[in-house]
Amino acid sequence: MNKELNRRDFLKNTTAVTAGVATIASGITLTTFAANDNPVTNEKRWGMLVDTNKLTESNINDMVNACQEENGWGSEIHSTGHQKPSWIKKIKVKDKVTGKIDMLPMMCQHCEHPPCVDVCPTNASMKREDGIVLVDKHLCIGCRYCMMACPYDARSFVHEDLSNQKEHMPRGKGTVESCTMCVHRVDKGEMPACAEAVSSNGVIFGDLYDANSKINQTLKKIQSTQIRTDLNLNTGVRYSGI
Amino acid sequence: MRHLLIIFLALAFTSVFAHADKHVNLGDRATELKDEGKSRDIHPSLAEIRKMHPEFLLHKRDKTLRQGVRTQRDSLKECVNCHSSTKNDEYVPINAPDQFCSTCHQKVGTSLDCFSCHRTTPKEGL
Amino acid sequence: MNIRYQQIEGRSLGFYALVAGLGVLILTALGSVYFMEHHGHYVTGMNNRIVWGIPHVFALFLIIAASGALNVASIASVFQNKLYKPLSRLSGLVSLALLAGGLMVLVLDLGRPDRLIVAMTEYNFKSIFAWNIILYNGFFVIVAVYLWMMFERRMNKFSRKIGIAAFIWRLVLTTGTGSIFGLLVARHTYDAMIMAPKFIVMSFSFGLAFFILILIASYKWGDRPLGDVILNRLRNLLGVFVAAVLYFVIVFHIGNIYLAENNNVEMILFANGSIYTNLFWYGQIILGSIVPLVLIYHPAVKGNRSVLGLASILVIIGGIVQMYVLIVGGQAYPLEMFPGKDILEGYGGIVAYTPSFPEIALGVGGLALALVVVTLLVKFLPFLPESLADKVADPHHKI
Repeated sequence: MNKELNRRDFLKNTTAVTAGVATIASGITLTTFAANDNPVTNEKRWGMLVDTNKLTESNINDMVNACQEENGWGSEIHSTGHQKPSWIKKIKVKDKVTGKIDMLPMMCQHCEHPPCVDVCPTNASMKREDGIVLVDKHLCIGCRYCMMACPYDARSFVHEDLSNQKEHMPRGKGTVESCTMCVHRVDKGEMPACAEAVSSNGVIFGDLYDANSKINQTLKKIQSTQIRTDLNLNTGVRYSGI
Repeated sequence: MRHLLIIFLALAFTSVFAHADKHVNLGDRATELKDEGKSRDIHPSLAEIRKMHPEFLLHKRDKTLRQGVRTQRDSLKECVNCHSSTKNDEYVPINAPDQFCSTCHQKVGTSLDCFSCHRTTPKEGL
Repeated sequence: MNIRYQQIEGRSLGFYALVAGLGVLILTALGSVYFMEHHGHYVTGMNNRIVWGIPHVFALFLIIAASGALNVASIASVFQNKLYKPLSRLSGLVSLALLAGGLMVLVLDLGRPDRLIVAMTEYNFKSIFAWNIILYNGFFVIVAVYLWMMFERRMNKFSRKIGIAAFIWRLVLTTGTGSIFGLLVARHTYDAMIMAPKFIVMSFSFGLAFFILILIASYKWGDRPLGDVILNRLRNLLGVFVAAVLYFVIVFHIGNIYLAENNNVEMILFANGSIYTNLFWYGQIILGSIVPLVLIYHPAVKGNRSVLGLASILVIIGGIVQMYVLIVGGQAYPLEMFPGKDILEGYGGIVAYTPSFPEIALGVGGLALALVVVTLLVKFLPFLPESLADKVADPHHKI
């Protein structure tokens, strides 16, 4: 057998194989994912609108649990206190003047201009064309500068060895992680787990740019805000009711 | 000095090739496919996949992670799905000694970093 | 008069004991690293709120001291001050050694130090951190070339040019180190570009303190003459630098108190009786600034070498405390996410940080590495002038 491969053979083979596997009816079903063959573009911008008036405390707890279940964090054995990861958390705030109490879920805000991406020395912190901010754990050296830079305390560092990760959500010791807006679900046309866990209109997920999307239309109608608007980060996660 | 080099190279080559054609542990699904004669549909050239799989995986990982291109071809999940084997009805981690990935990687002395983050067995309930 | 440089003998029991002692510290550090990397960072006191702990305190302290230690050489070759000329070689060496120690700590505290190569091959040019990697590597090269120009007689004529380049480079480097914090817009405790000049002045002070200590120790232990002229000049210089750091600290904090948005942070860090309040007032201000200033300028102890050594030690301790207050204290205070609201649950509060032994060992190991590099290299290469007696160092000096 020819052990030497040159570039042309390599290209020829791969093309042939791709065509071959796609046409023959083997046990592998490529067609299911046909929609995902194309790179994501900046014609879309995924976002989320959280209406704190419509969310109960148990709604928010459900969101946190759904995220843990979906992405497999929270069962670390050795990490204690603030060492435990938290991709999404329930926050309770009280207005200093009126005493009004609000509860909200807090996670990566998927900024348009993410400080974590700016500071990352190795390009591991990155933003996809469609606005989802991720950590490329292949490149992450665990310097934690992104955690210093994030205005939302959204990122966690994995403090211990992990095993039995979710198939779609690789996670590992010594790297930084955060909410991925359930990118693996979004790419399949599904909603993030937290949004799905709330049956009311408390959380709306969708394409911010699409004039026909529910999130776009709702944002046009109601008053909403971004957390730390002063930083001009133009977040993908918006809140109303606080 | 030259003699030593020749001996060293000879040893290196024999160890690679002596090993190359007998996979003790191909994995459950892969063995099935091989027995059904379908393995060439997936890996048309053994030499290619043996030599180029790091490049395939690297290329695929960037496309998936950074561009959202989610195809099965060259997906690490699919490697694990086919090449994992079971013991007492439970999957053995693919990077465990004597399993598909580690047999070769140990032999050629290259470390394997995929599984410090990636799941080492096929997904739950497969 | 020509200055003669000579290696130290380095055969005494004291020399071997020093090297062995530092070696033990370095081995402890390496063992600690193995322990931390094997288990993960859960064995440290660091967490998701205090993401940079004791290792970063030592690493950044050593790195800024490194750039400051080069000042003596800069004064000689850039500003043509003859008195400092004989000290230039040692200044370059101390500078390189401190940088090596600092970088060792920084790198070994990474979550994935095995992937250091990624940091060298993947650059995000928007990242100050990435720029710092380039600046540190460049500093090594420039200072190494600078030393070569000083050592090689026929290259001496270039030493001024390289010296100027090294001086500019080190200013940029410390600006970069300061900007790591100064550009963190998310955190009120850092976000201010005054960090850059503040770090430069801190580097002058810490670097010179190291240099003075190493100079006094090597001439005392090596039994070589060291005159008062040089030491008095260095003493005055250190006094000016310590005072300058104090000035920057005061300006920085007064500026912060004046801003309503930062008011809380300042009050909690500097007046509420937390560990950081005590460290700031007793460690950084009193022990690290005021006492050294008294020791340096008080007429009763002027010219006393041991007192100068003590002042330098206090400046170094005060500097480490200052970095601790800045790095750890700055993270301990919660981010101001909801202005006008109190956070009742889910986030907030001042986070406690208890450094674990391996972290401290790693930091101290970096310091030990710097010192062992100096100790060994002065034995193998002629860094130190045979004599720095007053009549050698300054022939026009009138006794």
